[in-house]
Order: sequence, then C-alpha cells, then structure tokens
Amino acid sequence: MKRYPIVVGVTAAGLAGVLTFHSQRPTLPLTDGRSSSASAPSGDRPAETPGPGTPTSNNPPSQGPTSTSATGAAYQYGYGQLSVRVTMTGGRITNISIAALQTADTYSQQLADQVVPTLEREVVSAQSARIDAVSGATYTSEAYAYSVQSALDKLAK
Amino acid sequence: MHVEHVMGTMVSFHLRLESATARPAAESALRQACEELHDADALFSTWKADSPMNRVRRGLLPQADAPAEVAEVLDLCAYVRELSGGWFDPWAMPGGVDPTGLVKGWAAEGALRALTIPQVLAASVNAGGDVAVLGRVESTRPWRIGVRHPWRQGGLACVLTVEQAVATSGDYERGCHLVDPQAGRPATRAVSATVSGPSLAIADGLATALAVGADDVLAHIAALSDYEGYVVRADGTEAWTDGMPFSE
Repeated sequence: MKRYPIVVGVTAAGLAGVLTFHSQRPTLPLTDGRSSSASAPSGDRPAETPGPGTPTSNNPPSQGPTSTSATGAAYQYGYGQLSVRVTMTGGRITNISIAALQTADTYSQQLADQVVPTLEREVVSAQSARIDAVSGATYTSEAYAYSVQSALDKLAK
Repeated sequence: MHVEHVMGTMVSFHLRLESATARPAAESALRQACEELHDADALFSTWKADSPMNRVRRGLLPQADAPAEVAEVLDLCAYVRELSGGWFDPWAMPGGVDPTGLVKGWAAEGALRALTIPQVLAASVNAGGDVAVLGRVESTRPWRIGVRHPWRQGGLACVLTVEQAVATSGDYERGCHLVDPQAGRPATRAVSATVSGPSLAIADGLATALAVGADDVLAHIAALSDYEGYVVRADGTEAWTDGMPFSE
C-alpha cells in the first residue's frame, strides 16, 4: 500500500517563531455549556461539536470591538490536510476553530480498493454512541501551529 | 465546559459542579488547571528553542539544574521505557531525549489534579485525545469514552468505560513522531493504539509504545495489572488485553 510521505519534523529553531505574536497567551473565554466551536473534533460531546471538515461559525462571545477572522493555509501532513480559522477581537484571539480537515478520506479510498475491514465493536457515527468524550490521536501539532500562524499573518495585514 | 489552546492542541474540560454556588471555586480551579498546562508547555515545548527541555536535550543545561518537573517527566519516561520493554524510548529519538510521547498526558493529569476540589463532583480533561477523568459523569453512570476510528471519519473503533485515564496514539496522528527505537526511524505497526489505566502520563507513553510495537508491546501491557491495551493493526485486525474496559 502506498504510504503518504511522513511529515518531517520542523526544527525547534524553525518553529521558535511560531505563536510569538502576543505577549499574553491566547486563551479562550469560558463557554457556558454552549457548543464550543473551538474544540477539536476529537474532544467533547460529538453531539455538540460540528463534524470534521465543517466550517464553524465564529461568533465572538461579547459584542463590542469588531472581530476579524482569517483561515490559515492548509497544511499537508501524514494522511491529510488541516487548516484552522482564527478570530481576533480587540487584539486578542477569541476563537480558533478547525476550518477544514481532510483526513482518512484518501486513506479510506485506498482501503476501499482492498476489502474495508470492520472493527468488532465499531460505531459508524460517534453521535449515536452517547459518549462523553473521544480519545484519539488528532492533528499533528506542527500542522496546527503552522495554520494558526498563517491565519495570524493574514490578520496582521 | 472550557477549551484552552495550548501545547499545539486544544484541551477541553467538562465539569459537573456540586451546585450553582460552586461556580467561583470551579472557575478558579479551572484557571489554575490552565496555568498548569501553559507552564508545562513552557517547560517542554519542542517548538520553543529556549524551553528548559530543549536546552537539556541540546546539552546546554544539565538536567540537575533544570526545573524539577523535567526530572519528574524524565523519570516517568524511564519507568515507561521499562514497562514497555524499551518500545517507548525517548532517548532513542533523533536529536536527543524527547519526552513528547508522554508529556501531554502528564500535563493533562496535572491539570486534572487542580480540579480535585469538593465543589467539582466530576471532571474530564481531554488533551488532544488523551483523556483523564475524575468522579462519575452523572451520578448514575461512569464516563464513556469513544476511541476514534482510525479510518472511518466520524466513527468510533469502540467505546470504553473509563474510571481514570485513557490515551490513544495513532499512525494517522503524526508520522514523524512515532519512532521505532530499534530501527531508529519512524515506523508503526498499529494504526491505532489505546491504553487505559490510572495515570494518563503512563498511559500516554504506553500508547506511544503500543502504536510502534503493537503485539510485542501488548504482551508487556498484559503483564501489568492496572493497564489495559487495545490495538488496531495496519491490516485492520485488532488485539486487546483481557481486562480492556469495553463498554457493552
């Protein structure tokens, strides 16, 4: 089976500049039981979070200063592509959401050429399983950071 | 419910409070939990050239002079290296000792500890797929954690009943990071590897090892009384230890 190229780790020096846009750490405001559009699809109740690949709305939690958003460049990694959408309000990051995620699609395609195995206890849709959280390896940190920085660069223009 | 962007990923929290009046105490604990995550990030981030861990790795800082947390994490790494029969080996990583395969779980575990106050009846921390819980999600039932399906988007490989911690490592996650200590280069035999047990830090390290070594590592985990493992091999077949807490 043809493997996707393995992501080459970026050197620490190369990434030292990543996410140094602020003196203060970006933090997300406490959300109050509303679905958080900033959570990665692998966490939280699946019923509340949008599915992977679905662009999420980025309503800032408070009215007042104008918000601007930008979507970072898509980063190719491992089995897919990731881009994030960053929203800034009054100079602070108020939301980061997954803008686009294509993973496993092409991998599934490759598997479909062979027989697609079914796992013994698999659930086709997480939403139907009434679970509290999902444990799963998610996005490579480099891809995430790259896309966030790309979005920030756009917002700075 | 709160989401924090840190350590290159999103960390989400769910809390069940004792009462409405518990909120201020819970918010304070949550802030402290997030501080712990950011502190861990500052110490261990591989992207921050001057992080103490990076300086230790590059030989610029003797381990004895580094913050105590560095020693704590490296000690844990050595312990998991032993438990995994050497399949988890941060010292075999190219470029120098790299505890990344365990640090996220360790940091999340520390964050959960900050939430262990009377006002919080139950809590979960999900750090990019490594999950630690305390209490029962509702008084009537324990936490149910799904394991992400390695190739069906939006699907689950299985559902687990989790009392303490579960970590999943995978082929589909970060190819450059899972290094086979014996080959010295990136390699995995499993597309998905899940470990559950009392400590998220240890589960994280063991899951990393399990993703690389699959059946060999599963045998080591089977020998541990308090950790269980589940693996999906590259050909789609599965294997698990007897006590793996699948939810029926």
